[in-house]
Amino acid sequence: MPPQLSIFYLYLVLAAIVLAVFFAVALSSRKPREVPQLAIQRTRLGFLILLCLVLLPALGFTLVKLPYELWAGEVPDRLVFVAGKQFAFAVSESPVTTDEEWQAKTMAAPVEVAAGSLLELRVTSLDVNHSVGLYDPDGVLIAQVQGMPGYVNRLRVRLDRPGRYNLLCLELCGNSHSRMRGVVMVRGGA
Amino acid sequence: MAASDAVPVSPATARESDAEARLWRRLTVAWMLIVFALFLVLLLLGLAMRLSQANLLQKLTPEYFYAILTLHGLGMVGTWFVGAMAGVSYQLTRFARPSLGVARFALLGTLLGVVLLIAATLVGRFGTGWYFLHPLPFYSAGVWPQWAVGAFFAGLGVLGVTWTVWTLDLLRALARRYSLGGALAWPTLRGRSGPETPPFVLVTTASLLSGLASFAAAVIVLVLYLAEWLGTDVKNDPLLMKNLIFFFGHGLVNVTMYLGVALVYDLLPPLTGKTLKTNRLVAAAWNLAIGLVLVVYFHHLYMDFIQPRALQYIGQIGSYLISIPAAVISIFTVLYLVYRSPVRWNLTSLFLYFGVMGWAIGGVQAVIDSTIAANFRFHNTLWVPSHFHTYYLLGVVMMILAFASHLGREATGVPDRPGLARLTATLFLLGGYGLVVMFAFGGAHSVPRRYSIYPQELAQGALYARVSLLFITVLVVGILLYLWDTARNCWKAMSA
Repeated sequence: MPPQLSIFYLYLVLAAIVLAVFFAVALSSRKPREVPQLAIQRTRLGFLILLCLVLLPALGFTLVKLPYELWAGEVPDRLVFVAGKQFAFAVSESPVTTDEEWQAKTMAAPVEVAAGSLLELRVTSLDVNHSVGLYDPDGVLIAQVQGMPGYVNRLRVRLDRPGRYNLLCLELCGNSHSRMRGVVMVRGGA
Repeated sequence: MAASDAVPVSPATARESDAEARLWRRLTVAWMLIVFALFLVLLLLGLAMRLSQANLLQKLTPEYFYAILTLHGLGMVGTWFVGAMAGVSYQLTRFARPSLGVARFALLGTLLGVVLLIAATLVGRFGTGWYFLHPLPFYSAGVWPQWAVGAFFAGLGVLGVTWTVWTLDLLRALARRYSLGGALAWPTLRGRSGPETPPFVLVTTASLLSGLASFAAAVIVLVLYLAEWLGTDVKNDPLLMKNLIFFFGHGLVNVTMYLGVALVYDLLPPLTGKTLKTNRLVAAAWNLAIGLVLVVYFHHLYMDFIQPRALQYIGQIGSYLISIPAAVISIFTVLYLVYRSPVRWNLTSLFLYFGVMGWAIGGVQAVIDSTIAANFRFHNTLWVPSHFHTYYLLGVVMMILAFASHLGREATGVPDRPGLARLTATLFLLGGYGLVVMFAFGGAHSVPRRYSIYPQELAQGALYARVSLLFITVLVVGILLYLWDTARNCWKAMSA
């Protein structure tokens, strides 16, 4: 199951808990009575402790899983240069710095890599902000990084499954934003 | 605030005369009617976009889709900001004396800004999204003309100046009555005895101060854009511009939410039979919020890997930390107010209470989305509209609609209709949560946001959009029922 779905289910569970608490409290108003002050204070303190017990470990656990440091200790098998420009991504094994190079690379055959390769995507833009959303052969978003003019963002990703990986634009860049494409082909056998 | 805090707060009546009170009421009712009209129009634009994504409105070309997207986003945020400001201004007149002249200026300035934005988007097809990331306004790909860029920035400029003046006037009025430190409950924080700061005043002051910081960022962005647009040697840095824009945008949304919460603090206690006062804990939480709100915007730039790493950490840590005072103080307080209380359930109390529930559920999503590791999979997918529609539509919008309902009844003396109120709230919640869960479901299935039409490999997005249309229909019925009740009362109040 993709992590997105697991998180979605977690969200549903947490939202259901909040919903249940609010409805239970609303229903309690049918039988009004004095609530002891001490009970309110204790409940609030308990809530604070519970929240800290959930949030602080979650913070510690997730801050060590940053996308900026994926496979940081390894040498990438391939460098893949991605340059966005209204309205296509040029994907290449050499840097793309001019409109002419970008034009040529958008017409060229897709970059091919072996399954299991560790890639370093170096993403930039020749005009406006774009964002590379990397979709696996099943159409699941597995990674993303922004492409910004004047900057190069580096993203490391290991592509294990053979097939066609689409690069879709995830940052609004103009009227044909949803048509922007780039492709990386992964061949079987590492 | 616990039960021992239940000391009645008796606001000094600051309005000078009944005539002035009537003028304030009339102006606020006019604001609410304008908010309703804008809400309906912007809602229809949202519906048009979802129809297009469902492949049911093929006539909507991408050019117009993105122009509508821009107007819908900016329009909704702006509409509910002014709705919240108008509501808070009106309630504030019981405690302090904001200027009626400035409030009227705010109305006129807002209308002028709205006209310019409508011209830029619906006529000029300016379609950069609300956030006009640099340098997209200058790369129209032949879609929008230069005048549309000018009209867009002129509209933002007019709104920025107007809202800054409005904010400053409210802060002036607060400072005059309480002093700024007093309005922020600093004496309470230091444990000193002195004039009491009502929670509504504290929350309003904290919100307005955060708002000023946002407007300052907006002014810098506009000046930088203007310098480049006029052909000077200024060449703006896209990363700096992105930081400034999100600082402004995130701040504006946050301020609106906090102003909505201020209305909850003021309107809900009388309907529950309990009262609230500011204690040291509450004062500390809201003073802390002013600082934290300034740094959490970094979570919008997680996918800009070149952003300094420390700022990414601050974004996540700040976003997690800010949820603690919000939950432990404000949300808990609202639950305390209702728990075992003889609540008068009417449209106002239902929308206030469930608006806070929307804030809580949206907060759950906010924490998830502010987690860098999760954001890597969710950023710029439909997960994000799910989060902010929960915050907005099911949070602050409900709070402001609650205020409008309160205002309409206060002005006309029309009695509550509990049955109609329950039906309205049920339809609103059912339709609203259906809408946001479908957005979240789309995000969990990798469907991007801001796509005018889904390509073949994301065809599931069209199916999810069709399902969400069912919920939107239910929501629209709920909204129409609400308007049938409240807009009629407001209209009567205008003509009275």
